[in-house]
Amino acid sequence: MEVIPSLDLLAGRVVRLTHGEFSTAKVYGEPEAVLAALDVPRGTRLHVVDLEASRSGRPVETRIVERLAQRDLIVQVGGGIRSIDDAQRWFDCGAERIVVGTIAADSPALLASLVDTFGAKRIVPAVDIRNGVIRVAGWEREATASIEDVFARLEALGIPETLVTDISHDGALRGPSFRLYRELAKLSSIRIIASGGVSTISDVVSLARHRNISGCVIGKALLERRIDLGDALVRVAMPNAIPERVIPCLDVRDGRVVKGVNFVNIRDAGDPVECARRYEEEGADEIVILDISATDANRQTALDTVRRVADSLFIPLTVGGGIRTVEDFRAMLRAGADRVAINTAALRNPQLIADCASEFGVQAVVLSCDAKDGRVMVRSGKEEGDIDAVEWCRRAEALGAGEILLTSVNRDGTGSGFDIKLLRAVTSVLKIGVIASGGAGRLEDFRDAIESGGARAVLAASLFHDRVLTVGDVKRYLAEEGIPVR
Amino acid sequence: MLIDSPVANTANIARALRAAGAELQITSDPETIARADKLVLPGVGSFAAAMRWLIEHRIDAAIRDAVNGGASLLGICVGHQLLFDVSFEMGTTRGLGLIGGEVRKFEGRLPVPQIGWNRVAARGPLFEGVENSVFYFVNSYAASNASAEIARADYGGAFTAAVQNGRVFGVQFHPEKSSAAGLQVLRNFVAWK
Repeated sequence: MEVIPSLDLLAGRVVRLTHGEFSTAKVYGEPEAVLAALDVPRGTRLHVVDLEASRSGRPVETRIVERLAQRDLIVQVGGGIRSIDDAQRWFDCGAERIVVGTIAADSPALLASLVDTFGAKRIVPAVDIRNGVIRVAGWEREATASIEDVFARLEALGIPETLVTDISHDGALRGPSFRLYRELAKLSSIRIIASGGVSTISDVVSLARHRNISGCVIGKALLERRIDLGDALVRVAMPNAIPERVIPCLDVRDGRVVKGVNFVNIRDAGDPVECARRYEEEGADEIVILDISATDANRQTALDTVRRVADSLFIPLTVGGGIRTVEDFRAMLRAGADRVAINTAALRNPQLIADCASEFGVQAVVLSCDAKDGRVMVRSGKEEGDIDAVEWCRRAEALGAGEILLTSVNRDGTGSGFDIKLLRAVTSVLKIGVIASGGAGRLEDFRDAIESGGARAVLAASLFHDRVLTVGDVKRYLAEEGIPVR
Repeated sequence: MLIDSPVANTANIARALRAAGAELQITSDPETIARADKLVLPGVGSFAAAMRWLIEHRIDAAIRDAVNGGASLLGICVGHQLLFDVSFEMGTTRGLGLIGGEVRKFEGRLPVPQIGWNRVAARGPLFEGVENSVFYFVNSYAASNASAEIARADYGGAFTAAVQNGRVFGVQFHPEKSSAAGLQVLRNFVAWK
């Protein structure tokens, strides 16, 4: 998949408009300066929008396109192109392709003559979709043709690639419209340049995993430095290199696996060793044990459980619950844990994260964060802390946490899906991985947590204990959906 | 024979080796090590600390004696890195020099350490049956393009996931945490003649 930086031009400068209002233009500077600041390599394809042209209907920023083409950049340009002459003018400036919006949906005759004149490969139709309907003329009105008709027409003309923007996702924090791209894959073999909603590296990687997506236009997220172009190019080169993980969680009390809804109504769910072994056989990538009743009195019971489970597994084991000191942490590692999750104690004493990281390495330190309505909860979800969950995770990363286990207390045990909004809020500001926890109910939930939420691992407890789904079911489903698993 | 050290996760590796069919002796005695016919050298933590421990206990020489006398050797994680000529983790530290090459920090744009599963493309007797499998890694440093490379993985750039120089093998990943694929590698080493 090609990563295509997008430059909106107005009066010779790169700008961003809010809601298409010219008066709101935020200026980022001369195109060359912006490209240098973003470290755009030679040979990169750029998506250039001539805003003035889209308003006046005549090409305006032709000199800039000329300059960019001369700098070894491949330019696709759009903005109010309504005639063969407009198109010719852009090609004369060195544009490689032109992007046409309204006429793609509403003027089939003109589109056909553009294709006849310049060839299908040089025309990129841009289709803007809101709630399943194509919008045209600056999103002002519905197109006369349906999505199905427009795509059938484009296919008949031999158009290889189409730019698709889901307007309801553009500029929003919801991420790209993966569902729309999936539907289009069923509808047509035309390859898609995805546009709108791309705001994290993980969004870019998720798009690259879709077979029908050949390109991804990124504007605001690059300009606002939320995505580093170099990072994106590295990740996109091998989007399937690193498998995502499926992790069953054993909530353990007094040596037994238990389960509960929203941390209450606890029921017995079996022997931890038997559960853990079964999960490894089913393909679990890691096991998490949370000692949910951890008090000094049953400290030894917890250590004994960890020892017994660790002795029966050949996959990594992460253990949490009641870890208050570096010595507690060490005892869990000695009992056979590979990684230890810290929760309440780190809130009271954040230095504990740094101390454990320097003593045992960052790979051993997991910060467990229980969030309710965006705030951090403590004491197994019983008490509300006074800190914002995103801020706390960011701080934990700076202190040396190697990964975050992020549980939505609102969703936990409900089966209503992972909290994608919470996940995105956290994953978009961290470099370290996030394990999504709380709310898994259907196969799609696991996909969405990774694809839209940016999680690097998905965790579930009761769903697996009750055998509603097996770990194998989840991994097979993820693989079918294009997400790499072990 | 498994070399016991305070800078290794000996217990986990011992368990995995036994599951792979090894009759195991765990020792840190240099004379016993020098007489071994099959050795496993584990290691976690820093290269320099692990190497210092080997030298202080004269195990470096014992390992070389054993290999020169016909023993086969498997290094795991930092134990794998110790086989190389030199590491640049926290300064410059000479390794055992049984495998040509250097151990350097990951230079890519991905978070370091690498923590997790990664796909390995491998060949040779150590990987029989698991030539294209996924193994569990925890590392910030690795060799790359080693001449003895028998397996390669990618973490923001290609790196050497395993090496073989005659009887000397090394794996950068943790076979004891890599489920069935990891056990297969250990089984292959145990069976190797």
